[in-house]
Amino acid sequence: MAATTVPAAVTRTPHRRLRVIAYVTSPVVVLMLFFLAPMGVLGYFSFLKFSIAGVGGFTGLDNYRDVLTDPTFWDILWTTFTIATVSMILMLVVSLPLASILAFRVKRFELQLLLLLVLADQLNPLIRVYAWRILLGKNGIINSTLMWLGVINQPIASLLFSKTAVIIVTAAEYLAIATIPIYAALKAVDPSMLEAAHDLGAGTFTLYRKILIPLAAPGIFVALILVYIPLFTEFLTPALVGGTSGFMIGNYIEQQILKTGNWGVGSAMSFLLLLFSVVFVAIMYRLGRINRLQTASTGG
Amino acid sequence: MFFRILFLVFIGAVLYGPLLILAIFSFNDSIIIALPLEGFTTKWYTLMFQDPGVIEALKNSLIIAMIVTPVCIVLGTLAAVGISRFRYALRGPVAGLIGAPLVVPWLLIGIGGLLFFSKLRVPLSLGTIGVMHVVAIFPLVAAIVAARLVRFDPSLEEAARDLGATQIEVLRYIVLPLIAPALAAAAIFAFSWSFNNFTITYFTAGFQSTFPIWVFSTLNHAKNVPIVNAISTLVAAIQVVILYIAWRLSRRWQSRGGDETLTPEMVI
Repeated sequence: MAATTVPAAVTRTPHRRLRVIAYVTSPVVVLMLFFLAPMGVLGYFSFLKFSIAGVGGFTGLDNYRDVLTDPTFWDILWTTFTIATVSMILMLVVSLPLASILAFRVKRFELQLLLLLVLADQLNPLIRVYAWRILLGKNGIINSTLMWLGVINQPIASLLFSKTAVIIVTAAEYLAIATIPIYAALKAVDPSMLEAAHDLGAGTFTLYRKILIPLAAPGIFVALILVYIPLFTEFLTPALVGGTSGFMIGNYIEQQILKTGNWGVGSAMSFLLLLFSVVFVAIMYRLGRINRLQTASTGG
Repeated sequence: MFFRILFLVFIGAVLYGPLLILAIFSFNDSIIIALPLEGFTTKWYTLMFQDPGVIEALKNSLIIAMIVTPVCIVLGTLAAVGISRFRYALRGPVAGLIGAPLVVPWLLIGIGGLLFFSKLRVPLSLGTIGVMHVVAIFPLVAAIVAARLVRFDPSLEEAARDLGATQIEVLRYIVLPLIAPALAAAAIFAFSWSFNNFTITYFTAGFQSTFPIWVFSTLNHAKNVPIVNAISTLVAAIQVVILYIAWRLSRRWQSRGGDETLTPEMVI
């Protein structure tokens, strides 16, 4: 320290405000420039008219009216909703027992199994989706195996490029992210509570309904926040395994933006999707908090 | 007990089965990916290294991830300390801003980036990909680091300050050693999030190719490309090895004078 001429008391004065500024300035500036501004441009473009000739000027709410009166938009939105919801339910049905087995049953290999779960999530999603495509394709492993074994004569064509394919592949893709928060919530539970319920004669179904699901609820809400929004806005999986029947809203937006160059309508759809995400997260967050308060007040 | 093991095996098959099949077929001597297997070959691996598109794409992905990761670690740590260690009037809005990209789907971050750069007439490049990766990833790093920070008593830092440590010294000798495990985990995650990212890259790449982009466009132009099997197997294997080494290192580091052992809670 060369600055010995400065009195020690001065250097030690907690310049709290300066310290805060030193910490938060660069993250905040980066987000204002490259997150808020792009979102602003998205919002701004949703009010502009675009055509092949270029930008045609301000059109008010025309783009939003075009989107909301477009029957294709509603069809695709319905497809998206069913795919995302069925896939999410499928994931929860699997991840609840998985999380509870990891949290309470496997004592010795808990860490290893958990790392395997995290690892699956860290592998390249493109590779994972592609691997499923090999499995489900018309000449894929499932079809060729079944034909080789003589179970079927014709390949089942609907395995790939269908809603079902998108549901199966997304459920496998996001399973790890759905399980981890539920596991974390269950990990905070005293295992003796489960033993007590079991000793008092609770069956598996009662155990899940009365004990495990309520206790896992905070984790389930986190899983919904972490998974449902990316799932709803999926673009990669339906593009690779969805075909025309598994075409989701993300693909429709991509088509508007990159293929037809209809940036105004594409931005309007994006903005509606953004609104949906924010509202969804806010509701889940709220529900998660109410639930936590309830469990706290009942002493659970 | 039996059903439980069966269930775990089923989960394992769902998570890793397709990848194992992919790996097996990357050594299969046939252009058609179907049973029965035709014979062992490594020619797809040889062909893969001769394909300039693959090499270029992998190089670009690595360059982006190697720059994005340290930037995200620095920004994420600054943000985490800034929102979890101080009380100030604007703390709520600042925390909200830093958390906001976590709520916004990557699809919209990608599209927003595309429109934003075109509005500013900035040509799309590896740089524009990297910038949007940073925006999406550093708030996640901040979340991981903040989760670690709130478990430590801020009075440790105050004590150091009272004993005459400067802010830099507090950061270097108190805060960083405490959050080191979180930083290591965050670095690994940030690297793979950037390396694996498809959605944001797809919209902000322009004519540049990255590994996920290359796989996507190759798959869209040809049905079954054995080269894709080979390169995918290779990349997945390298990712597994890197994560395994990281895990072993963290264990050794902890057994050597670390005050904690690796618990499942630290993984999540």
